[in-house]
Amino acid sequence: MLLEVKNLNAGYGYLQILRDVSLQIDKGEYVGIVGPNGAGKSTTMKTIAGLISPMSGSVVFNGEDITGLSGSAVAKKGISFVSEEMNLFVNMTVQENLYMGAYTIKEKHLKNERLEFVFELFPRLAERRKQLAGTMSGGERKMLAIGRGMMSNPSLMLVDEPSFGLAPQLTTSVFASLDVLIKNGVTILLVEQNVTKTLAVTGRGYVLENGKVGLEGNSADLAENSYVKKVFLGV
Amino acid sequence: MSKHNMSDTLTWLKSAPGLSIVISVVVAVAATIDAGPYLMVNMVVTGGMLALVATGLTLMLGVLNIPMFAHGEYFMIGSLTAYYIFTPISEFILEHPDSWLVTFGPFIAILGALIGGAIAGAISEKLVFGPLRRRSTDNWVMNSFLLTVGLSVLLVNLHQLIFGADFKGIVGYWQGMPISIAGAYISLDRALAFIISAVIVALFYLFMTYTRTGMAIRAVSQDITGAEIVGIDIEKIVLLTISLACALAAVAGGSLLFMYPSYPTVGLEPLYMAWFVVILSGLGNILGAVAGAFMVALLKVITMEYVGAGWDFVVPSALIMLILIFKPSGIFGSDVRGVLDK
Repeated sequence: MLLEVKNLNAGYGYLQILRDVSLQIDKGEYVGIVGPNGAGKSTTMKTIAGLISPMSGSVVFNGEDITGLSGSAVAKKGISFVSEEMNLFVNMTVQENLYMGAYTIKEKHLKNERLEFVFELFPRLAERRKQLAGTMSGGERKMLAIGRGMMSNPSLMLVDEPSFGLAPQLTTSVFASLDVLIKNGVTILLVEQNVTKTLAVTGRGYVLENGKVGLEGNSADLAENSYVKKVFLGV
Repeated sequence: MSKHNMSDTLTWLKSAPGLSIVISVVVAVAATIDAGPYLMVNMVVTGGMLALVATGLTLMLGVLNIPMFAHGEYFMIGSLTAYYIFTPISEFILEHPDSWLVTFGPFIAILGALIGGAIAGAISEKLVFGPLRRRSTDNWVMNSFLLTVGLSVLLVNLHQLIFGADFKGIVGYWQGMPISIAGAYISLDRALAFIISAVIVALFYLFMTYTRTGMAIRAVSQDITGAEIVGIDIEKIVLLTISLACALAAVAGGSLLFMYPSYPTVGLEPLYMAWFVVILSGLGNILGAVAGAFMVALLKVITMEYVGAGWDFVVPSALIMLILIFKPSGIFGSDVRGVLDK
């Protein structure tokens, strides 16, 4: 098992968002978390990524307890987080942003290998390598954020709302790039507002409601589930 | 192609940075022709020192969002350290005039000031800024501002308590004939003080632009969460940034000990001047701070020459008010954020 989250309780200050959230991800899996706004999807991601320290519960990655580690320490263990806000370095060029993504890699030639890989995946970024990140369009920034997340050659990628604010065409290309990653053996935990799409591409899914895991199972089964259909898909 | 370059140059000249740099150069040259080359020399030496202090301030403000009002005290720590290192060296030189220390003793004192400033900065981070950062939830700018004012008062009074309120100065670092350039005599001390500040600012710029750690500092200043996500150890970078900023101020204090003898409030003037620079140039880029440093130095030198000594604070202050009213992001800060919003 690559990632095991057990009875996680977390929140902001006194406000508790997550209540006993548990989930498991195996190596190479493509797992989605769906749920309504405010269900705690992003909070789950941020807690795993080390940006929020949990009140209780545990996060075990690769058999190692990483509960309560700082974000940078978690990144060094091989978890890469692509946040909803992207958190790009706006006054740096595309290429500098990507190199920063490989901050945990010391060898120059490995960095360049990763850079070539990302440029192959997103030719658009290669065209704009000298452009400042802050001057790019929303879709390009999203690509850059995902590209930066891949630069460290992570074993697990946490991707938060990749389609948020994107035009449908760009959404498709972003999802296509995630598919390429899966084929390259990267494990992905995906949080999305687009329930149909998420359950169509992922292998397994969790339904989060009010900070608790309501349902879990194969994505195909979840898509057929009458409750999910009624609440999220409106069928 | 060349036509394109021409129009680029013209646009730059019409922009605020271009316009202000051109005006400054013209004014500097005109005043030098009118009053004599010593004016240019004074401007260059003051500007070099100011560039050191102001880049440190820019760093504190831009990376850590701390409006640093204790920065002059690190200038003071630098001059104090250099004084206590150089005094025994100069006594030794008196007895052994052929020693290698005649040439390299001052460098040891200035290096000592640099290290002393870095250590003082690191201690301040561990004892003062770090604890505040862990406890402060909001209003960081205000809280840290008040903290630095308190730190400033504390350091000034510690100096007075331990070392006394008298002037601790030296006659000069390097003996020897002044260098003559175009009829102006520049003492060796002044020339070397300028060279030291130029070299350090250049090294610092290269460090920030090309090294992995320098890029990490810039990354933290642009998006702290993003920096954490990619695996940058924030605590380490903050510690490094503060000691670097303080070391820059201290090395200015150390290399100018012959002009500014060390006493408790010696840091006030460089502090205010550095703030003028930061507001004038806007924070964000080091090159802006360097250009701004020379502009403020020019303004100061010209005011002293044509309006009178004693007015050299009034004119820059008035200019700062105008800038804050009409262009709050500063001359070079048009594409980055204003002084305190983040």
